[in-house]
Amino acid sequence: MTQYLSQLYQRLNAVRRRRVFIIPTRFGFIYAGFLILILLGAINYSNSLGHILCFLLASMGWVAMHHSYRNVAKIELINGYANPVFAGQAINFNLLFENRCRRTSYQIELSSKPSKSRSWNLFKRLGGFAHNVTIAQLKAGATITVHCPVPSLRRGYQSLGQIRIASQFPLGLFNTWSYFTSDTKALVYPQPLGALALPLSKDSGDQITDPTQKGNDDFSGLNTYRSGDPLGSIAWKALARDDVLRIKQFTGYQGSQLMLSWDAVSQLADHEARLSQLCKWILQADEAGIDYGLSLPNTLVSYGYGDGHRHHCLSALALFDNE
Amino acid sequence: MAGLSLGALPHFIYQPIWVAIIFIAMIFWRIMAIRHLWPLPTKQLSAFKLIHLAIAGIAFVLLFISYGNFIGRDAGVALLTVMLSLKVVEIRHHRDYYISCFLGYFLVVTNFFYSQTIPTALLMFIVVIIMTASLISLNDSKKSLSNKGLIKLASSMLLQAIPLMLLLFVLFPRIAGPLWGLPQDAHSGKSGIDDSMTLGKISQLILSDEIAFRVKFNDQIPAQSQLYWRGPVLWQTDGTTWTELNKRYLMSSRPDFTTSGDEYSYTITLEPHNKRWLFALDFPGELPLTPASHYTYDGQLRSIKPINQRQKIRLRSYTQFNLNPKQDDAINNALQLPDKLHPRTRQLAQTWLQQSSQPAELINKALAYFNQNDFYYTLTPPVLTGDSIDRFLFESRRGFCEHYAASFTVLMRAADVPARIVTGYLGGEINPVDGFLVVRQRDAHAWVEVWLQDQGWIRIDPTAAVSPQRIDHGISTIMPEGFNTPLLMANSRQLIDLWQAIRNNWDAFDNAWNQWILAYGPELQKEFLQKIGMTKPDWQTMALWLAMGFVLMSLMISFYLFYHRPHYDPVSQLYSTFCKKAARAGCVRPKQQGPLDFATALKQHYPHLSQQIDHITELYINLHFGKQTVSVSDLRLAIKQFKFTASN
Repeated sequence: MTQYLSQLYQRLNAVRRRRVFIIPTRFGFIYAGFLILILLGAINYSNSLGHILCFLLASMGWVAMHHSYRNVAKIELINGYANPVFAGQAINFNLLFENRCRRTSYQIELSSKPSKSRSWNLFKRLGGFAHNVTIAQLKAGATITVHCPVPSLRRGYQSLGQIRIASQFPLGLFNTWSYFTSDTKALVYPQPLGALALPLSKDSGDQITDPTQKGNDDFSGLNTYRSGDPLGSIAWKALARDDVLRIKQFTGYQGSQLMLSWDAVSQLADHEARLSQLCKWILQADEAGIDYGLSLPNTLVSYGYGDGHRHHCLSALALFDNE
Repeated sequence: MAGLSLGALPHFIYQPIWVAIIFIAMIFWRIMAIRHLWPLPTKQLSAFKLIHLAIAGIAFVLLFISYGNFIGRDAGVALLTVMLSLKVVEIRHHRDYYISCFLGYFLVVTNFFYSQTIPTALLMFIVVIIMTASLISLNDSKKSLSNKGLIKLASSMLLQAIPLMLLLFVLFPRIAGPLWGLPQDAHSGKSGIDDSMTLGKISQLILSDEIAFRVKFNDQIPAQSQLYWRGPVLWQTDGTTWTELNKRYLMSSRPDFTTSGDEYSYTITLEPHNKRWLFALDFPGELPLTPASHYTYDGQLRSIKPINQRQKIRLRSYTQFNLNPKQDDAINNALQLPDKLHPRTRQLAQTWLQQSSQPAELINKALAYFNQNDFYYTLTPPVLTGDSIDRFLFESRRGFCEHYAASFTVLMRAADVPARIVTGYLGGEINPVDGFLVVRQRDAHAWVEVWLQDQGWIRIDPTAAVSPQRIDHGISTIMPEGFNTPLLMANSRQLIDLWQAIRNNWDAFDNAWNQWILAYGPELQKEFLQKIGMTKPDWQTMALWLAMGFVLMSLMISFYLFYHRPHYDPVSQLYSTFCKKAARAGCVRPKQQGPLDFATALKQHYPHLSQQIDHITELYINLHFGKQTVSVSDLRLAIKQFKFTASN
């Protein structure tokens, strides 16, 4: 018996995992006011059809309340991910929602709040949501990926925090909403900033003077694709020919190696400025096709190239000295 | 907007034509604005704003001219209609849409002041659906629902709302109105018998098919010729118009009467006529419980308040009565004739009086006069000018009940016999569907009462002397064949009968609607709730029931909205029967085990069945994972035939 009860409790708990709030909107209150007026009129004139209409409209309101609740209650956040961005850019959270109801949901408005505020003030806690996007409709059992742009705050991991789904569908008489706390995180790279030129130092030992001046368009041949090679260099035409992924090789600064080190930016005032400068350099080096590495006080990324390597370096910057 | 138009449509019947014109023009403006981008009155386009304001101004002036104020019922409704139409053009914000929608509901309600018939109710439902659909479309800003989808959703919401509506209708504690004073014109525009009679007036009613009241007799129904429904009693005349006795006499005292003869108990459902007469069967033995009423001195049964809503009246009447047999204080009024009028009639009466002074003989003489001369009973009497009584008696001789009643009364008075006219209804039609006797306006009738010493007022119907059919068989025998049927049907007997059957059924339905829906007020509610088992129908009990019903319905709708029918595909279902068979045989399939592993396990236990097990598993896997090379029926067959038999 106790086992059965505890099972029941767990199941109930699973059902009531998420609270759904519902209150009448401004129009809901006006509607109620109209209904009272109609009722008074009907009583005054002893008008039976007046009563019927009043009761019908009241019942419609009640049905609308249930529909409104239903519209939101079974929308679940399944999953979320976001591509890394540079600080200052908007993080585009991709959220996967599922409608677990057997009816279509409409007009779900999604808003987010970067971080969960811990104010004792309920209104402060409930407020602060910025409207992001509206899901026009979500069919029964269907999933949808919603792009939810959120401004990035600072480098490091930024979690989505609290998001709210709300809807006034169908009649606009009730506002129904519900919160999700998502642990979906996005990596925010430092902002690429800085006026220092790419330190093409002597020990990297090369004749390059200014890599950014020269394009990497001196085509030298094709190589088979290795994972991590920049997608922009894939020889799509060659792929059409014989189904083998190749990448175009350029005689740019192939073979030259560049270590971007913390010391090189030590002249800058603070950590963030240094990281920004390094960030910018990485981008420049990546664009120029230089093999580059990164050395930070407690991290060392050895030479490499390609998107994977770039991400590796940039995330090292993003997470540098970050608790 | 369609909803608004539909809601406003019935109003055009009652309202002056310009209201309809403005309404249609405004709707047209709005439609053109949407379709063809016509300019709307906005702050930027001040010219159109001016036009809009000008229309509004004209409308208000017209309103004031038509009604004289803005406060009465009719004026209020007209004002609402006009304002709403003006608002339609002005709609810009979300809020405006909502307000116009809500005002549209209001418009529907105001329509109920004029009409509460079944078609009106149906129209109400349609309007509510359309309004709801437009509210939904307001909240569907991405337009993911088509118009059809909107209507479908709105209709399904309406259907879901109906159970709760019924619950509220039945259980919501009713309060007897009015809560505040009604406007003067709250109940105007009712046709029916009036408190005065001019020759030719009742025959106008004859054309009206409107129902005056319905009667349900408790046991037997009296003969048609006994169905005199007593209305206003008319005494005074100026030669053409007959009016009631003044109030002093009417209210002075209760008449002195005794009743005898057959007793009939019945319930009248009186349609509102905005007057006080209760049209009891001649002659009511006692006052009804409701409404509060009294006898007038001349034997009318009158309600204290005007009948402005449908009213049920339980009564008991007797076929015989003696009314004021000893003396009548108002007797002089029953002898009054206008000076110098009707000289030929007086002359005729004088010649009779010279032959006999017995009132009974005089009466017979007068009836014989009608009977033996070429008098005709007609629904379309010629218009009489000048001294109408004289001209009727000696020239036209074609008249309706009121002509006979009036001229007979004049003859009696001229012969010094006290006489008065009683108006009301005669007869009625029994609806075979529900057994109600339906009395329509066309059953309106006028007859005469003369006063005889020791007998009191006795009923004389001069029409009977001319057209006994009218008395014995009701007005419809007098009416031309097919009078009430559509023209096309008038040629065939069967079609007329069919039409009559449809009419009877519809009347019965309409009556049920009136008796149960429209009449549902505090008393009927109490009665009904007691009937369905509520022992003490006070408002607390009702509230309790209402709350319980409400919770129940909330559960029902939640269940309806959220209930997820677990739908398995047939393949999985078949496979699970297979698994059940295996379980019965002792091999339970662990939850996470795949079909192949399960097959291996089964084969270990039943090696001799391994071929069949493999077959089923293969079919299942092929079907389940999308290879359509095999059919479901193969699997069904294989599983059906499969048996876990022990190895031998």
